[in-house]
Amino acid sequence: MKEHRLTKDKFEFAITMLACAVVLYMLVSIFYLYVAVGESWNLVVSALFDSRVIGAVVISVSSSLIVGGLAIAAAIPCAYLLAYRDFRGKGILETFLIDLPQTFPPVTEGLVYLLMLGPVRLAYTYMAVIIAKFYVSAPFTISFATRRFKEIRESGLDTIARSLGAKTRDVLGRVLLPLSGRDMLAGFSLTWARAMGELAATLVFAGTIPWRTEIIPTLVYLTAAEMPQVAIAASVIAETLSIIALLSFKWIARGR
Amino acid sequence: MDCKGKMMKELRVENIIKSYGNVKALDHVELTVNPAEFMVVMGPSGCGKTTLLLVILGALTPDEGHIRINGKDIDQLPLDERNIGYVPQDFGLFPHLNVYENTAFGLKVRKYTEAKIREKVDKLLRTVDLEGLESRKPKELSAGQKQRVALARALATDPSVLLLDEPLSSIDEATKAEVRANLKDTQKKSKVTTLCVTHNPEDSFYLGERIAIMYSGKIIQCDNPQNILENQRNELVRKLIAPMYIEFRV
Repeated sequence: MKEHRLTKDKFEFAITMLACAVVLYMLVSIFYLYVAVGESWNLVVSALFDSRVIGAVVISVSSSLIVGGLAIAAAIPCAYLLAYRDFRGKGILETFLIDLPQTFPPVTEGLVYLLMLGPVRLAYTYMAVIIAKFYVSAPFTISFATRRFKEIRESGLDTIARSLGAKTRDVLGRVLLPLSGRDMLAGFSLTWARAMGELAATLVFAGTIPWRTEIIPTLVYLTAAEMPQVAIAASVIAETLSIIALLSFKWIARGR
Repeated sequence: MDCKGKMMKELRVENIIKSYGNVKALDHVELTVNPAEFMVVMGPSGCGKTTLLLVILGALTPDEGHIRINGKDIDQLPLDERNIGYVPQDFGLFPHLNVYENTAFGLKVRKYTEAKIREKVDKLLRTVDLEGLESRKPKELSAGQKQRVALARALATDPSVLLLDEPLSSIDEATKAEVRANLKDTQKKSKVTTLCVTHNPEDSFYLGERIAIMYSGKIIQCDNPQNILENQRNELVRKLIAPMYIEFRV
């Protein structure tokens, strides 16, 4: 019995150490950038005020916010369909809407948009940035909303609402959406963060025109070798904004 | 007609069959609930009671049979047009709405005026003795209070029929007698035709003007409590009502 306890403790110790190693890896990956600023911090600070960096920040933040809003608008009908309609091929549709966009190679997606929407003059525009980011980011919100709508369906609250005379718009507006606010916010925050980090699709489809389509990831990609202080400055901004935004959204969502 | 001029409705369940795969949850169920009557369907867990309520409500489609209210077939009516009040086992209160808003829900979606909603909700909350609790959220209520809110909400739209699914199963024993009496009293005052399902013989005999005993998807006896106590159709009924039989006969 004692030997068994000892063995169990050793195993527990081992998995705790493994977990710590993973945590360390994650934390170093996140915070090493601030260390890398090091002694050249004055160069980095001056780069923060570089017009190109500011432009990339503005395009990145604004387009990601728009993508977050569009994702909520898209998530509502999709989640309703997936949670409340039973039809053949629903599982496949769910995979195409939620899982595939998260694993589909973004560079390929950028190429698809370039071929499909290039001829209608959407390539290399601000709209192209939004289109490219939306495909890879929106599934987070769709996924959160779908899961919540399914939970509400399981609880039977929509059935009760309908028994009281509620039509679909009432069920949606008075039951589903008020009860999904936290999940929508969580989905929005992840969508926003994913959109902030999107690179390949935007690079291919929207290009890197300063103050028009250049976003922080593409700016970092282009300047990392020749102007590392600009790349580091842009990265510090992106990373700090992402951390602050994610923590804020989580805090707001928990406090609701 | 009742004293307020409201039409009291008869509910008829005609030859309903509902299967889940190979399992017949409802097997040729026939039942008539008279206008303003409080009928109880009693049976063990899994005998098809809740399925019966959901078929009447319109949340489930039967394989065969008809549901009629005052002779009118409502099979084709969607759930939101049947005007049937429903109180589920867990009361199903909307957690984001307070007592007043929960009670007013059906009236709001039917576009009643604010003044009319206020008048009806105030009256209902007085009837179920919940005055002063209007701004409380469901999580701040006891099980008995939740049940009364659910009842008030279901009655707010003047339903043709009221369906109650195990209305006393979440109530603790200490307050059960009072809650049960309130439930019966509220039904009497509202005069709404009521079908209640429960597994509890004591609740059935207290609440029901008639009791339908259900087993394995079939109604095996339907009569008033006294007749059921005196003449059980078979051994199965005798076993199912055993607690009452012992209480009254011994």
